[in-house]
Amino acid sequence: MPLLSTRELSKRYPGVTALDGLSIELEPGVIGLVGANGAGKSTLLKILLGLLAPTSGEATLLGYDVRRQGPELRQFVGYMPEHDCLPNDVSATEFVAHMAQINGLPRAAARERTAETLRHVGLFEERYREIRGYSTGMKQRVKLAQALVHDPRVMLLDEPTNGLDPAGREDMLDLVRRTGNEFGIAIIMASHLLGEIERVCDHLVVIDAGRLLRSAAIGEFTQRTQVLAVEIEGDAGPLAGRLAASGLRVKMEEHTVLIGIEAGQTPYDAIRDTVADLGLGLVRLEQRRQNLEDLFRTPEREDADVAAG
Amino acid sequence: MSQRDEPAGSIYDLGYRRYDGPRLGRRHAMLSLYLFSLRGAFGLGRRTSSKIIPIAIAIIAATPAVIQLGVGAIVSSEHLHVIRPENYFNFIQIAVALFCAAVAPEVMGRDQRTRTLPLYFSRALLRSDYVLGKLAALWTALLFLTFVPQALLFLGNGMASSNSTGYWRDNWMDFPRIVASGALVAALFASLSLLVAAQTARRAYATVSVIALFVISSVISEVISGTAGGVWGQAAVLLTPFEVVRATILWVFQSNAESGSALAQADLPGYVFFAMLCAATAIAAWLVVRRYERIAV
Repeated sequence: MPLLSTRELSKRYPGVTALDGLSIELEPGVIGLVGANGAGKSTLLKILLGLLAPTSGEATLLGYDVRRQGPELRQFVGYMPEHDCLPNDVSATEFVAHMAQINGLPRAAARERTAETLRHVGLFEERYREIRGYSTGMKQRVKLAQALVHDPRVMLLDEPTNGLDPAGREDMLDLVRRTGNEFGIAIIMASHLLGEIERVCDHLVVIDAGRLLRSAAIGEFTQRTQVLAVEIEGDAGPLAGRLAASGLRVKMEEHTVLIGIEAGQTPYDAIRDTVADLGLGLVRLEQRRQNLEDLFRTPEREDADVAAG
Repeated sequence: MSQRDEPAGSIYDLGYRRYDGPRLGRRHAMLSLYLFSLRGAFGLGRRTSSKIIPIAIAIIAATPAVIQLGVGAIVSSEHLHVIRPENYFNFIQIAVALFCAAVAPEVMGRDQRTRTLPLYFSRALLRSDYVLGKLAALWTALLFLTFVPQALLFLGNGMASSNSTGYWRDNWMDFPRIVASGALVAALFASLSLLVAAQTARRAYATVSVIALFVISSVISEVISGTAGGVWGQAAVLLTPFEVVRATILWVFQSNAESGSALAQADLPGYVFFAMLCAATAIAAWLVVRRYERIAV
């Protein structure tokens, strides 16, 4: 049974089309949902949660029809919204236990699982204090905990690292990855940061302007071709020439040579030696992170760009 | 997570455990929401400042009963004028209105204010379940004003009487009437004030609007009954919740309005007010449900 299946799913507002005939089928796993702001990520999540009604089309999650079987489905769904959603004047313990009960857990089980879940997300003594005094990082953890407390089969996370500093970001991504990989809970995580998705997810869905651009295993996005950027002091021409002569596909920018690396190739030593031979100052040798713009170009075109260089 | 990364932290990490116990569904969700909201209405489990206003108003509403019982303990029963249960509302109507203004925004607007609604609506609960749970919570909270003091009075007067069982035997019919009138009054005030509070996430606006509803409706009603004659002047009294409630209580107790009062002048049969109370309660509740069915989260 697929985790998620949508058919011609659309959501139109007067003047704006948020989702435009989205058809997609996903198997359980840790799924990244990428797109620019306004691409329709949150809209898709909200339709799956029954928070928004689609204008047309159908969607099933965990085999339940999201429109007709909402309450049954949502017993097994956890949702972490993008925005603040916590009351200030209760403790994390009280709030998360309440949320567990709203999801149908008996009181005693709710309390027990609340304690476990808050410990899991890394909230300890502070869980008895009012949420008002929490840092952004602690609040994000409470938000994750309330989505996890009832042991859902799937969690929908909308920008889970929103507002976090770099260390908090790492922690949160680590938590999400562990939740998905070690606990076997399917995750659909929306983010506009490809780097985050890459670190956590095993499947990637790219949507743009409400339409599906691509859906594939993460390896297909990153393994096909990796681009190595070699930045040097001075003119990059001679270096590019020598590397091209040794059989690498290169493209030249002002002070940088971009090198397309096929799976299995490890030209790092050769590049270092060539730079040293030419007596050039090496400023930077790095793997070019693919960013969203790269993704929106087809991989073939990118290969061609590099090859043409 | 810094704690988790410390070696000692791993002692506490028992790993993730699955939950395969019962999932009790919508009814359990509604009950939990009801209890959580009821506790919240009195600020229980919250900081002290959230408790002060609701509990103080509830104490004010019980004060007439306490005073009368105190006087009754000192003065012999022949000289005592007991507060008749059908008149008790006259002492507490302002307290009831203030309680609604203070607590309804806490019960209803709070989740809009903190944007917690998506967390509720993405769980095993319908939007109408949510509204009904909230309504039941405010209704129950109001019973602490409209029913509990009078029940105390009923018990206390009996105990203070020289012949307790005799007192209760003679007045036993009062008790179901106290229950019925308290429940009806609480229902009307709960649904009207939730309807107003549901319109805005801003707490201060909601509080002022609830008070405005009670004040303005009274003013409109008085102006119409003062200027229009005939049936319109009579019916105008149906526009103010206080008079509707007062008349319904009198009807429940099979008693008559004091001569000269607005109700006596209106001279409408009691069941009309009862019907008006039920209709207003139901319509207001339906409007709140409709509002929450449509609210974007």
